[in-house]
Amino acid sequence: MSLTLGQKLKIRSMIYVAAEPIPFFWPMRSFIHHNPLHGLEQLPFQEAVAEGSRLFHGRAFLTRVQYQGYLRDGRIDAAHLAASIDTFVASRPAIPGLDLARWLMALLTETDRPVALQTTLADVADVRATLAGEALSADKSLPPDSLAEGLRTHLLGDRPVYEAVDALYGTEIGANLDELVVKSCLDFFDEGQSVWGMPGRERGFFTAWRDVARRNIRLFLRGLHIKRILAVDKTPEGVIEHVMNALGIPEAHWVGYFTRELGRLHGWAGFIRWRSTAKHYYWAQRYPGDLVDFIAIRLTLALALLQERERRDVAITRDAIGTAVETHTADAYLRNELYSRQVLPAMAQRVEHAVSRGRRAHIDTVFAEYAARKRAHEATTQASRLRNLAARVADGEALHRLADDGVAALLRVLRDFEQQEGMIWLRAMESRAMSRLLGGLDLAPPAPREKRPFVQALFCIDTRSERIRRHLEGVGDYQTFGIAGFFGVPVSFMEMGKGSETHLCPVILTPKNVVLEMTAAGPQDEAALTALEKAMHELKESVLAPFVTVEAIGLLFGMDMIGKTVAPQRYNRWRKRLHPKKPPTRLLLDKLSREQADSIVRAVQRAVIAKAIEQEFELAPESITDGMIRELREAALGKHQARTLLADELAWDEGIERGFIERLRNAYRINYSYAHVQLERLGRIGFGIDEQVNYVSQALQAIGLTEGFSRFVLLVGHGSTSENNPYESALDCGACGGNHGLVSARVLAQMANKSEVRRRLREQGINIPDDAWFVPALHNTTTDQLKLFDLELLPPSHLVYLDRLRNGLVSASRLCAQERLPSLELAPAARDPAQAYRGAQRNALDWSQVRPEWGLSRNAYFVIGRRTLTRSLSLEGRAFLHSYDYRLDAKRRLLENILTGPLVVGQWINMEHYFSAVDNERFGSGSKVYHNVAGRFGVMTGNLSDLRTGLPSQTVLKGGEPYHEPLRLITLIEAPFEQARRAVEGVVAVKHLVHNGWIRLMVVDPETSQVSVYENGAWRLSEHPVATEHPILEESSAS
Amino acid sequence: MMPELSYLPAALFLPLFPLSLVFNVLFARLRWPWMRALLLLVWPQIGLWLLFETGTPVPGWLSAWAIFTAALYGFRALALREVGLWTGFMATSAWALLWVPVAAGMGESAVRYEALGFSVPLVLLVFLSAGLEQRFGAAYTGLYGGLAQTIPRFSGVLVMVVLAVIASPLFPGFFTLLTTIVAVSPSAAFALVIVWLLWSCAGARLLHGLIVGPAHDEPAADMTLPTTWGYALLLGVLMVGGVYLTGDLL
Repeated sequence: MSLTLGQKLKIRSMIYVAAEPIPFFWPMRSFIHHNPLHGLEQLPFQEAVAEGSRLFHGRAFLTRVQYQGYLRDGRIDAAHLAASIDTFVASRPAIPGLDLARWLMALLTETDRPVALQTTLADVADVRATLAGEALSADKSLPPDSLAEGLRTHLLGDRPVYEAVDALYGTEIGANLDELVVKSCLDFFDEGQSVWGMPGRERGFFTAWRDVARRNIRLFLRGLHIKRILAVDKTPEGVIEHVMNALGIPEAHWVGYFTRELGRLHGWAGFIRWRSTAKHYYWAQRYPGDLVDFIAIRLTLALALLQERERRDVAITRDAIGTAVETHTADAYLRNELYSRQVLPAMAQRVEHAVSRGRRAHIDTVFAEYAARKRAHEATTQASRLRNLAARVADGEALHRLADDGVAALLRVLRDFEQQEGMIWLRAMESRAMSRLLGGLDLAPPAPREKRPFVQALFCIDTRSERIRRHLEGVGDYQTFGIAGFFGVPVSFMEMGKGSETHLCPVILTPKNVVLEMTAAGPQDEAALTALEKAMHELKESVLAPFVTVEAIGLLFGMDMIGKTVAPQRYNRWRKRLHPKKPPTRLLLDKLSREQADSIVRAVQRAVIAKAIEQEFELAPESITDGMIRELREAALGKHQARTLLADELAWDEGIERGFIERLRNAYRINYSYAHVQLERLGRIGFGIDEQVNYVSQALQAIGLTEGFSRFVLLVGHGSTSENNPYESALDCGACGGNHGLVSARVLAQMANKSEVRRRLREQGINIPDDAWFVPALHNTTTDQLKLFDLELLPPSHLVYLDRLRNGLVSASRLCAQERLPSLELAPAARDPAQAYRGAQRNALDWSQVRPEWGLSRNAYFVIGRRTLTRSLSLEGRAFLHSYDYRLDAKRRLLENILTGPLVVGQWINMEHYFSAVDNERFGSGSKVYHNVAGRFGVMTGNLSDLRTGLPSQTVLKGGEPYHEPLRLITLIEAPFEQARRAVEGVVAVKHLVHNGWIRLMVVDPETSQVSVYENGAWRLSEHPVATEHPILEESSAS
Repeated sequence: MMPELSYLPAALFLPLFPLSLVFNVLFARLRWPWMRALLLLVWPQIGLWLLFETGTPVPGWLSAWAIFTAALYGFRALALREVGLWTGFMATSAWALLWVPVAAGMGESAVRYEALGFSVPLVLLVFLSAGLEQRFGAAYTGLYGGLAQTIPRFSGVLVMVVLAVIASPLFPGFFTLLTTIVAVSPSAAFALVIVWLLWSCAGARLLHGLIVGPAHDEPAADMTLPTTWGYALLLGVLMVGGVYLTGDLL
């Protein structure tokens, strides 16, 4: 069988469309927070979460009991809850005799389980009869057609066929299939964790897997005849078509079917989907693979597993299953009840016995009894829930009086209400959070300053910066600003000693400019410990070495473990001393001129030639002269035809000389075409002066810092430190692509300190005085340490102020640790700031610490405005704070930039935390305790599972309950309403997020003191509420 | 009368296949936990009394038959989901093995203790099974998982009792199997190890279907603290008794 190009493209496009709801999963080395329902963001939030729940089998809201807890703690607006109920009741026909609003409020606040059940056999008359204490009518017989129809809908639809088979026969094909697919993915996508790699990976996922699977004896012994299926076609598209036809899936259902297949292992599917689009990703370039391959492998294995079952009289095609349901409805019903875990426990044994024996008469008898008991059970349970609710509103009599249609109407209302319940709780919770924020805002214009601040510090908008900023402002004359942690400069960074580029910017951007890290220090000898560590690592990775070396060197590992466990701080300090310090480095930041680039290429070529001579002919460096190298280079480039000096020196004949020159051209790539490639690459290095001016100007204007510059302007990037933590990069700067923010700070500081840049900025009206110096710094969010960098570049005039600056930073760090540390402990203890600071440092070095810090947990707000707006508030590390002065942005360009980048990233972070908190097992990644690193790019639970995509329970839960309060991002813009509205409307992505309810948007107009809230598709205007005392602190103390 | 027929009554009470069907049918019919407990305690003791009454050494082929019966019921227990039936099958499998130490010449009192060591954990399991039926309507695996989260005390006790049933270390069954394996021929010892392995798998599957996984929606009351302590005490006594009476370690 061979498909035409058109058929192949059709299948490819179907899979492309089917994969749209599957969110990307980035490798964990640079963890990217993302919305697990990103693919559904085109839908309104309520619809998207319903679809997401269907696809990923996850819960989209907290449980009713958890919301009731929040209500008791005052974190839910009771008035808003009541108003929502009134609105709902108003939209429904009244039920005579019942106060529906009271019923619904009792349902929300006093019951802990759903009241309206999905009954399958009992009807309203049965429920009413049970309520009245009457016996159920005995003459009711089940219409077999509707039963069969219900089963067909439930089992077939767009569900994979093996799921229906599992539901009918108790097989575990789905679980087996997932296991086999995960093993195949682990083999192929491994990034160096395995000692023995899968052969032929460079030919692509499907082809490599196909070659191995056809010779896989274990699969053959399991009775899986993969070879026969793979013989049909060599291409993944051909195999897909064959399997889908063999299973009898109509083509109209293929897209839905593929989506369900991808949704079963959405972590792996998301990773493969991202990987196939990441053209710069080294592993993807080397070993290509996409979702078409993935689906082909999955379907091949699924068909093989099904065919293995077919030999035991199991229906394995869609049609055969439909026929089985049609002709053996009672049997199919009982089987589905038993194997889908819906069976009445009291009859489980009898049902199992009946279906395993397979005698039709016996099955019919058991079915009749089962159906009667199930009907009675459903009616009794439903009636009991209704009675319980009625008792809570003291309305039992009214319930008793209801006729059949009244009970039906009541159940309908309750069912609809329970479907909307999550949104009602969520909105009421958000309403409380919004009013608390609004109540604490200070809309007064900032008072004019008499003198410039001692220090101005630009922090990342990250929620963790809020605490340190507040404390820094509290210890002295410090003015702080919030800006995205990459400081608006997208950089592709090449670290010293590393051969690959790291993108330091939000993942929605692709940097064009490369920055190199270089040092003036010469090459260093490898420290003894580093060499020893490398040797140990190689021993560990070897297949046989552990068997023979464990006795010999196992003790060394044991001592390492004891040191890390017993005295993590001292031991790590000692170990650190054994490693050489990283030498001071500089960043190559300026664009190279054509001459400079040519010169660099020449220098590289000369160095390569020198090395080649040294290695091939073992000549000492002093024997190789510049003249020899120049001649050889020119010979390789075809500009020198005569005999070379080196040939004379080594008495080569013509053949040896020609051979070496040829090797220089081909093996060492001393030729024009490669030189051209090198020039192109060099062209990406650095920023032109115009670009530098533009970036500095944009960064300063975006935060409203265009005058009154201090002597020190700190650019504070942030990063984290933790041990034994695969999620370490999740704690780093999201705006820097999940990396530390220091390099971005150094880049902007270097640009802003340049006199030429300042001269041009002055022309734009941004006058940075000569004594203002931009200093890069790093905020370690795990320890709260603030460390200054590039101090060797500091003008001598500033050195006298350095002690004062350092004292201020240390004080802020200690106070911040004192505020933060209790929330990390199970039994918070009172500590002075210095003790708390030491405790935080221990957390960073303790390899048994599963929660070194809370990261961005509890994020709730995104404030775009001047610092004075929130400076008097303690936002408890819950707010992204982006500085913005609307007065400098008449054209809304700056605001649009903030909305496009930082706000979108903030929304991803917020949604990742939201879903990880509401259903940590499905949308989060479960407990870290069971995690294992997979292929060096992800984690799995246990030794084999889907890639865990969200956040671990230790990041969002405390004691099994949400520590992160799941709210949609409450965004506040301080600007005249029309200016803000037009900016939002001008950024399409953000407009959709706001209109679809993924972001809760508020605009505070500083000129009118009016607040506009976007709600239910429209703007609602209100006056700014009167400030309450410590509105946010109240909330935190409640927690 | 053929001498082999004299073993027939004992083969009913120290159940050998197919006579084992009698015990299992009887055990399945009895729904009242106390009656089941009594049956578990008394049944093998009657068998031992009948066996020792014959006064003749047990022939080798009967040991082989007993091991076959134990393996058969151990294997069938792998697939069972109803805890009551599982208990009956495990009782059959364990008691059948008592023929082996008798054939190896072990004294009557020692074998009686061993029978008791097999029976007592099964009795505890009967009461736990009743507890599951009371809470969920049936003691059935795979229907309502995640008991470790919903009723942790009950789950802890259940795990320990099942470990005792499958002859885990320090419980009496462990020492019984250990001394028997040492006393018999290598081929019989190998067969006994297989039976032991089957028990372990059956126990693991039973616990897997009840204890782990996502929690059940329906709320259920956990075991009270005094009852938990009561079970813990009994398990402790069982361990000490196992070490002292069947392990000969004290």
